[in-house]
Amino acid sequence: MQSSSHAGIQSIAEYLPAQVASVGELHDRGLLRGSPDTLRSFGFETVHIAGQESNIDMAIAAAAKVLEESDIDRDDIGIILYAAALNSSSTLWDGNGRSPNGSVLHLESVPDLFKYPASLIQSELDLTSASVVGINQLGCASIFAALRLARALIVAEDDLQAVLCVSADKFPAGRHRDLAYNLVSDGACAAIVRRDGETNRIVECTQVTKGALWDSEEIENEIIAAYFPTAKALVERTLTKAGLVMDDIALVIPHNVSLRSWEILGRLIGCPSDRIYTENIARVGHTIASDNLLNLRQATESGAIEKGDYLLLFTFGYGSNWACMIVEH
Amino acid sequence: MRRQSILLTGATGAVGSDLLRMLATRKDLSINVLVRRTREEPCERVKAVLGDLDVTARLNVIEGDICSGPSLGLTDRALETLRGETTQIIHAAGSTSFALPLPDARAANVWGSRNILDFARRCASLECGAFLSTVYVSGKRQGDFAESDYGDAGRGFVNSYEESKAEMEEMIREAMNELPLILVRLSTVVGDSTTGRVSRFNTIHHAIRLFYSGLAPMIPGDPGSPVDIVSSDFVAAAILHLLEHAPRPGVFHLAAGRESSNSLEDLIGETMSALSRFRPEWRRRSVERPIIVDLDTYELFVRSVEETGNPVLKGATRAIRTFAYQLAHPKVFETRHAAATLAWNGIAPQPSLAYYPRVVKYCLETNWGTRQC
Repeated sequence: MQSSSHAGIQSIAEYLPAQVASVGELHDRGLLRGSPDTLRSFGFETVHIAGQESNIDMAIAAAAKVLEESDIDRDDIGIILYAAALNSSSTLWDGNGRSPNGSVLHLESVPDLFKYPASLIQSELDLTSASVVGINQLGCASIFAALRLARALIVAEDDLQAVLCVSADKFPAGRHRDLAYNLVSDGACAAIVRRDGETNRIVECTQVTKGALWDSEEIENEIIAAYFPTAKALVERTLTKAGLVMDDIALVIPHNVSLRSWEILGRLIGCPSDRIYTENIARVGHTIASDNLLNLRQATESGAIEKGDYLLLFTFGYGSNWACMIVEH
Repeated sequence: MRRQSILLTGATGAVGSDLLRMLATRKDLSINVLVRRTREEPCERVKAVLGDLDVTARLNVIEGDICSGPSLGLTDRALETLRGETTQIIHAAGSTSFALPLPDARAANVWGSRNILDFARRCASLECGAFLSTVYVSGKRQGDFAESDYGDAGRGFVNSYEESKAEMEEMIREAMNELPLILVRLSTVVGDSTTGRVSRFNTIHHAIRLFYSGLAPMIPGDPGSPVDIVSSDFVAAAILHLLEHAPRPGVFHLAAGRESSNSLEDLIGETMSALSRFRPEWRRRSVERPIIVDLDTYELFVRSVEETGNPVLKGATRAIRTFAYQLAHPKVFETRHAAATLAWNGIAPQPSLAYYPRVVKYCLETNWGTRQC
């Protein structure tokens, strides 16, 4: 049978820990490096903080939910792409498998050398037809790489019907939750990319890596300065590759970095703020790699998107990586 | 024939030092250089400017200060002698800092000039007094700015430097009724057109450094707005020519003008291109070309940086802000009057991009003046 060569993000689910902390509470608990007022002024109010659940627990919860909500036959999932933004999310810790020692990862925790989350997720979800691939080292752009690879694999492999993309990150206990003037949440997301998927057809995926900016601590200023011009250039390149212009984009689905940075980037790419879905920035914060899918799902549920709309997803991940994707809803 | 005697102020500054080096090699001149004492002796400061130059003019270094009142910090006798012999004045002293509070900028640029003007009134043999100003007395005006135009036309100024220089011009204009004066408005001087040598690093060079460091993500302005820069050798040659030959009173623009300016977009492009050409390993850093943005967007970015309190980014945006706000008020400086006076001697501004890369190269080779070339 001749297969078609497009893929769509068919189903999306997220997992957000129940525990919520405000900017003020984080400050009081010594979990902020910078000023709470600046964070509030940049649009942040609360974040989700994982308690007993590990990043693997969150990944499994999000993946189980997406499988449950989708009509897909589990045997059609041919590949699981597990995307981890934090180095700590790409391995298992302290020999305790799924929920290491009370599920709270400490800075002094020791990684297991040959125990991997992707296989554990496959086993827990009983996805025995799926092989697994782990993706990391792309920071918050990890899930974009997973979606891009999922589409490429579907196009390349005739018998591959669907790919489960999963991402989950949990900050180590005690670590400051403000990074480059953004506020970090714990969370997970999962999406099923399906052959001939009618929803969220992936039109174009692009990524820029600036390896010279790999040291996110030492050259944070240079990274912040590089963010806007690189983002603008990448968005424009992606639109051009897709044969679209910004006016064709019904809604930008952002990563949940500061509202202020989106105000600026919106101006640079010629997108008015009412076409950027920023509803979750204040309430959820920046869930590392899960923001865009979480926002895409919620924008869909809220009725902000109509069938056939072009959507532009954009994110940045330390490394340094800028990633952009256009989907047709 | 009476030997010409020039009083030069600001001889250790950006333009003054180039003028001094040019004047010092003339045989027919007597030069009195008025120099302020700093941590260094005035003579040492002048020696540093002259380097190993073969000085043929009669050069006299006088310790004084234009800001210390009409006496210029001199004794009565010294002042009287200087008044008696001075035939020409080049007043190049002043503050070119864009960040000074207005009263401080006034003290340097208005009150200091008033003292020189007072001195000029008492020079019996004065043939010409050249007061150096800036084309940016035009402030936030947009469009053409002619040599016959004055001030900001009520639009305001970008910084205290512009405002204080505009105030100085008002004073000079009044005095033009009684004295043989010329106002020489300079564009932004970037360096020598042949060697790229920079006498004094200014905001343009600092901007080049920020581009190099990848700390300048955006610049306010319009991509097509002209950026007017001139070479130091053109400026020095033109001032000396005007001093001797210009009709006075008169106002002259030493600027690239419409013909020799390039757009902001071209200048940024040439900066990035020169950085990667002269420092190939820099390409590895993948520094993106700064974006040219409207003023509102830039203000929003600056405000955000200020709110973060990040000292490095604050320093970078403030440095860009001091000069780049001019770029958001695009204008063309007409040079008709200066061109007509200078043309017969073949003095004209070079096209900016013909020499600008050499300036970028000089910045790189000297690490912005911290290393010997």
